[in-house]
Amino acid sequence: MLLRASSELEGRAVELAAVGGGIASDAGVEHGARLVAFTEAVMGLDDAALRRERAALRRVLSPERFVEVAAVIGAFNTVDRVADATGIPLDETLAAMSGDVRRELGLARFASSANTPGA
Amino acid sequence: MNDGIDYSAAGVLVRGDIRAAHHALWEHLRAPGPCWTGAQRIAIARASRRAAGCALCATRRVSLAAGVAGEHDGDGALPADVVDVIHRVRADPGRLSRAWFDAVIGGGLAVTAYVELVGIVAMVAGVDCFARALGMPPFPLPEPLPGPPTGQRPAAAKPGGAWVPMIAPEDAVGAEADLYGDGAFVPNIVRALSLVPDHVRVLRRLSAAHYLPVEQIADPAARRTLDRTQTELVAARVSALNQCFY
Repeated sequence: MLLRASSELEGRAVELAAVGGGIASDAGVEHGARLVAFTEAVMGLDDAALRRERAALRRVLSPERFVEVAAVIGAFNTVDRVADATGIPLDETLAAMSGDVRRELGLARFASSANTPGA
Repeated sequence: MNDGIDYSAAGVLVRGDIRAAHHALWEHLRAPGPCWTGAQRIAIARASRRAAGCALCATRRVSLAAGVAGEHDGDGALPADVVDVIHRVRADPGRLSRAWFDAVIGGGLAVTAYVELVGIVAMVAGVDCFARALGMPPFPLPEPLPGPPTGQRPAAAKPGGAWVPMIAPEDAVGAEADLYGDGAFVPNIVRALSLVPDHVRVLRRLSAAHYLPVEQIADPAARRTLDRTQTELVAARVSALNQCFY
């Protein structure tokens, strides 16, 4: 969850609400709306929607970047399951870099926040 | 390597390090682990894929209570209670709880067997999502290697911090000296599976190829071809959909 830290480094004003989905704009991230829509389609069950979003994303990203998006979706589908099934707390280093974002997005509503004291 | 992994349907070139990580995972999956045989590990992977079409899992996902009773879609290769754990980790990870974990372990599943199972389910889920994103069918699972479980459990793994015992960075010595690499920061996500050290090695390689090497994760300037904000937006949206706080 280094969205804010990376956006500050890149000099971008990112709308964090994009993490919650359903955005019409790019939210300050290049092709942000397409990236979010594609991610949601991969995680969903509608194959036709996935084909549409894949085609739309491929029109704006190079093949190399498109593969990278797919890889990140895969990575976090692994990481999330490992984290939630082993009950690890959030590391202090990562919490310090993302605490404001987590509060702003209300991530403490997720059941797995119980694994991090003070979340 | 002829293990059934084929990227031709993607219509794009998949980087060599990603391909190598997938082949390494498939080779890892088919070998006996600490508690499960190669055949059982492949059965766990196969069962995890059935969760997507499982009627009970679908009912639970839309139910306010995660404890809806019933039978999972399965092929009979694994006990029903093991299949229940597999399907919950694959299909509804956001609602796992300490009480649920304690009940699973109290029900007789050894914690090392649990960690071994979780690693298999999680890593296969990630590779399956990658394939789906690129428009490819899931890769065929590999043929299992023969042999009994190894029975190995690292003595350095200790309780504390998480539901499962883990190896602290300062205790990663001897056979586990390579476990966490040379970085000063070892996030808990890397330690989480350390009760099964080979899972950690494979997960690090997979994560480095799919995302970033562990040593670079906390550096917001680290990136590949995507802007880091693009990477982090996708990552955050995935975790939100999975209802994962970490």
